Amino acid sequence: MVAVVARAACLLGVGTALGLVVNAARGDGVSLTAFAAPSACPAAPAPVAASAGDGAVAAVEVLAPTAAADLCRDPRAVVVDVRPPAAFAEGHVAGALHLPCAAPGGAARAAVELLGGRNTLIVYGQDTGEALPVAEELRRRAGRPDLRIVVIEGGFPRWSAASLACSSGPCPECGVPHE
Amino acid sequence: MRRAARIAGALALRVGVGGVLVVAGALKLRAPGELATQIANYQLLPAAAPYLAAVLPAIELVVGLAVMVAPRPWRSGAALAALVLFGLFEGAVTAAYLRGINIDCGCFGGGGGPITWVTILRNLLLMAAAGTVLWLERPREIRAVAPPAVP
Repeated sequence: MVAVVARAACLLGVGTALGLVVNAARGDGVSLTAFAAPSACPAAPAPVAASAGDGAVAAVEVLAPTAAADLCRDPRAVVVDVRPPAAFAEGHVAGALHLPCAAPGGAARAAVELLGGRNTLIVYGQDTGEALPVAEELRRRAGRPDLRIVVIEGGFPRWSAASLACSSGPCPECGVPHE
Repeated sequence: MRRAARIAGALALRVGVGGVLVVAGALKLRAPGELATQIANYQLLPAAAPYLAAVLPAIELVVGLAVMVAPRPWRSGAALAALVLFGLFEGAVTAAYLRGINIDCGCFGGGGGPITWVTILRNLLLMAAAGTVLWLERPREIRAVAPPAVP
């Protein structure tokens, strides 16, 4: 049995060494030190949101639901829901795209692509804190000074409590499968 | 006849287990950056994602080929390595499923689809197949055969 384990370890070792060599040799190999997972939710805590931009790229704003609802009426605004699939299916802001924290990286990239031609991004979660990291990540990815990024204060519960427009059901066009 | 059927069954199992690993490894080799993202999405060891993305396809290829075509003494080691790999995959997909993380499986590179109970069951079957290969290819003890009695 020891010989079997030794041979298994040997094969795994050969595979590991081969993988590292091939990865270093190929041009499109993954960077072992500078890799950043393109997730919608960064592991690092979100920076504190400011209400006004003070740099080249505008900071994330936090607005009350009623103020955010005014922005929603602009056809160049896009609304993103970052809550889990079950919460999204139960009810969400009308017309919102679903981009949960655990969505595949492709979904985050698709959301950034959707921002083309839009001038306002409205993000909400179950509360303000859930949406802020996603808003900050999308701001960083979009890299557009002209894009206004807004987080709905208090998240969906406050939006719902204010009797603002909601809809339910999954979001088939979002690329996030729902069971 | 029975021995022939057993040999054919063992060969089919080896080709099945090894083939799945070779195909999965080859597909993952195409886009290591995408694979690293898929591994990071599991939210288990995000810092290790680029390293796993770099080595996992090659490990699957080496182990898969060894299960299929290596000399007998190495096949049992390859089957054990395959069992370990499938066990790790099973742990990762089960953890993601139980935590309700809505991600692509990444089992065969991109577009593997979301993790469901079918993914978990498929990995369990692969573990069972690898375990069976390990049992069939286990080193046999050389039994001392007593010489026939001389009348």
